[in-house]
Amino acid sequence: MQKYVEFVIKGLVENPEAMQVETEEKEGLTVFKVKLHPEDMGKVIGKQGNTINAIRGLLQAGSAKANARCALEVTELDI
Amino acid sequence: MNAKPKETLEGLLDSLGFSASVVETSMDDNIFLEIQTEDPGRLIGRQGQTLSQLQYVVNRLLFRQDRDVPKVTLDVGNYRMKSKESLVEKTKAAADKVRRWGDVVELEPMNAYERRIVHNTLKDDPSIETHSVEVDGTRKKAILLRPKH
Repeated sequence: MQKYVEFVIKGLVENPEAMQVETEEKEGLTVFKVKLHPEDMGKVIGKQGNTINAIRGLLQAGSAKANARCALEVTELDI
Repeated sequence: MNAKPKETLEGLLDSLGFSASVVETSMDDNIFLEIQTEDPGRLIGRQGQTLSQLQYVVNRLLFRQDRDVPKVTLDVGNYRMKSKESLVEKTKAAADKVRRWGDVVELEPMNAYERRIVHNTLKDDPSIETHSVEVDGTRKKAILLRPKH
């Protein structure tokens, strides 16, 4: 699912080269921790969180198909 | 057009682990992407939720590629076509009820796309009037059907 997270977020932001992804495994849950250029936060979250909700919804659909559990957290990079 | 609708959707589906192929057609100013996959149920989701999310994300990705790109509409296994037909049927049944009993009938909260189908279905009906009302806690609105005097 990391491929998906990178594909979709890189396709939305203005500064894809600044993006960092870390993964954390806890009790069968894979958490993707994405750090973004501060300017790009709004692009990924969207109006009323519509974009991040849709990204997470698709992440659920893809991980259900792969019998996995995944979560996505997005934070600002310290610059 | 600088955006690549078919390639973008195929890349997205592949990254999600769905093997699928996409047929792109354009009509007037609309781009239509039909997904063929062995697992349509998962892509549609409950009440078409996953399909809506997929369409939303694809439109965001394409907008980033080209600000002037027309809106794309996705479908999987004719789901949108079928749900549109069933909504038209439901609307006609509600209109019959209004005509027969003179009551006001309220349909369940719907999004803008669904409301448009309902209003269009009844726009030339001389005996029924439709109008949308706000519903608390959601951006969806309910449509009221009532007799036209």
